Amino acid sequence: MKPEEIYADRRARTHALHLGMWIFLGSETLLFAGLFGLYSAYRAQFPADFATAVGHNDATIGTINTLVLIVSSFFVAWSIHALRGGHRRMCIASLVTAMALGASFLGLKTIEYSHHFAEGIAPGAQYTSTELPEAGARTFFTLYYAMTGLHALHVIAGLAILGWLATRVRRRRTTTERHVELELGGLYWHLIDVVWIFLWPLLYLTG
Amino acid sequence: MDSTDSADEPSFPSGRSLVIALVALAGLTVVSWGAAQLALGAAGTPVALGIAATKAGVVAVAFMELLRASTLARVIALVTVGFIALLCAGTVGDVAFR
Repeated sequence: MKPEEIYADRRARTHALHLGMWIFLGSETLLFAGLFGLYSAYRAQFPADFATAVGHNDATIGTINTLVLIVSSFFVAWSIHALRGGHRRMCIASLVTAMALGASFLGLKTIEYSHHFAEGIAPGAQYTSTELPEAGARTFFTLYYAMTGLHALHVIAGLAILGWLATRVRRRRTTTERHVELELGGLYWHLIDVVWIFLWPLLYLTG
Repeated sequence: MDSTDSADEPSFPSGRSLVIALVALAGLTVVSWGAAQLALGAAGTPVALGIAATKAGVVAVAFMELLRASTLARVIALVTVGFIALLCAGTVGDVAFR
């Protein structure tokens, strides 16, 4: 049964969809919470090794990626603002800009991963770094790959959603009058931003 | 409008407020990076996480329109944050005081 068949009132349907999205975002956040919990525990166990490993990460790439995601989040919010004001083309342009920034984020992440692999910094048993041989450093980078990898999967999913939304707006299926899916997709993209806002200091700054 | 716009609900965020939020987020990012360059010792991580929490709050209010969301949605957001804090505090406490 479609939502519009359950809720005769469009406003009630919109509220229900938003509430459902917030519950979904809560469950997504708790998925990351498990990894944040593990990070906290191992950081408490290996404080010196974690600090050294954090210092080994490229803070410049991490900082650029932080700004890239923040600006992409702004453009997603702007796309909603534009469509509410009846500016369809600006909405599409904002979504495409956000997608380009999201793709740039993944590109920089790929460069960073390749640098790590070249140094023998790989997850789990594949870890062969002689520069950082400590058990704590190995644990840090296994968590680093788990956290950033899971986050990157969310970025990829977010890019697909933004592309789908841009197509819907272009085909006038998502309009100024009916755009709840754009708001929900935007919430998902902002969550990706929020998760990275916490990953950045933990993985790049607190060395 | 599909998204409710009745008089008893907060209005949609203006373009100006979105730009202000973007500037604030970029500024806080610079502050966080700058703080990391200082030798803050044990205070470094709490300071960095405090700035991150502030940035997350800006995103939640300005971009995610949390203040426009229903009370139940706001409760869900708060409970989620509380659960994460509880989980991290519990695990750190377990290791630190074992």
